Order: sequence, then C-alpha cells, then structure tokens
Amino acid sequence: MSLLSALSISASGMSAQRQRTELLVENLANSDTTRTPEGGPYRRKDAVFAADPSVAQFSSLFDSEMGSGTGVRVAQVVTDTRDPEKRYLPGHPDADQDGYVAYPRMNPAEDMVDLLGASRGYQANVSAVSAVKDMIQRSLDLFR
Amino acid sequence: MFQTLALNTEHYMSLLSARQKLVASNIANADTPGYHTQDINFQAEFENALSGQTPAVTEPEGLAVKPDGNNVDIDREARLLAENALRFSIASNFARSELNSVKTAIQEGKSA
Repeated sequence: MSLLSALSISASGMSAQRQRTELLVENLANSDTTRTPEGGPYRRKDAVFAADPSVAQFSSLFDSEMGSGTGVRVAQVVTDTRDPEKRYLPGHPDADQDGYVAYPRMNPAEDMVDLLGASRGYQANVSAVSAVKDMIQRSLDLFR
Repeated sequence: MFQTLALNTEHYMSLLSARQKLVASNIANADTPGYHTQDINFQAEFENALSGQTPAVTEPEGLAVKPDGNNVDIDREARLLAENALRFSIASNFARSELNSVKTAIQEGKSA
C-alpha cells in the first residue's frame, strides 16, 4: 500500500529537517566559542540534503510499479571554510602574540532565517503525515 | 453494475494514494539540491489504470527552478495534498454507500 510508504517518506523529511535544526542551534550556541577539539574557533556547520529512494524499502518490493516516491536524508555536513573573525582582546587566554583572538565568523541572521526555513519544512512534512493518516483512516472506515 | 463501479472506485483510490506518495516525496525533498518535482498525469493515468496499466511518473514543466536546481513549489504541493485527501474522502464515502446498499439488500431479503 503506497499510503504507508508515503508516511515513511514524510518521516524521513521530518528527520532530515530536525537534524538540520540541531546543526543550526549548535551554530547559535557556539557563536562565541574560541576553543574546539579540532583546535581553533568553532566553524559554522550546515546540512546538505540528498534524495533517498531506499526510504520506502518494504513497500517498494510490493508496489515498485506504483510510482516510486523518494525520501530524503542528510548526505553531508559541511563546515564553513571562511576565515575566523579577529577581535582585539589582549587579555584573552586565546589571544595571539599581537593580542587578537580568532572568533567564529557568524551571522546570527543567517542562522535564524535557516532555522525558520527548517521549522517550516518540518511543519510541511507534519501536514503531509496528517493528510495521509486521514486517508488511511478513511480506508479503514470502509470495513465498518 | 456494482462490480464495475467498485472496481473504478478502487482504481481511483489507488491512483490517489500513488499521487499522494509523490506529493509526500516532493515535500520531503523541498530543500534537496537538484531534486525535481514528481507527479503523475492523473486523468490520462486513470484511463490507463482502467485497462490495467501502471501509472508513469512524470516531471511537471513550468515550475520555477531555484539556484540549487530544485523546482519544488511548496504551495503547489500543499494544494495537491489537500485536494488528494478530499478526493480520497469522497471516493471512500462513495464506496461505503455502495457497500451499504448491498448490505441493505442482503438484510431486507433475510427479514422477508
């Protein structure tokens, strides 16, 4: 039944948007972090999505002929390569010999806008789930 | 007569589910670079389904392509999502009233 695989497709969309939200929130939280395990200041992260035809695996054996829907997954987490922002703070323990501290190059507006986009994307997938759930319920009502 | 009607309704509902699945993929992939909107030509495929053919997935034209190569229009998908759910609801109500009329015929026959 293709309606059930539509549910897993929407679920994959919700999970991808949630992972993206996690990265964006991490960026906001670390906007002033000057130390990381890799060394140097924190670098902004973002998710790259890729279409994933294997999401609806079980049903694809059943109805591969009935229009193959594709789910989505996070293919890659990209790290910002822009140079860090230098701030003159001579008393800071991470300051270099000239007194400059490397801070993450972060634009809070960029992250907030992406966060809104991710949140709307999540909501769109939730609406799809409830519409499909309603259709499944209608089919079940035929048995009554 | 009942058989043909029930069969047509079944085709209609299964085609609606197939289309709803594609709408769900389009919404899930609304932020995927390079993804193209998928759809089925509903009217043509409904006629094909009556003769036992399986629906073909097409990529609708005329949608604005974003700089990342994605052409999902979330408003179009939202409309199709609602439309498919409504059509499905109409079809299922119709199928139920058909089933109920058969049930009535059986029950009335018993009581006589």
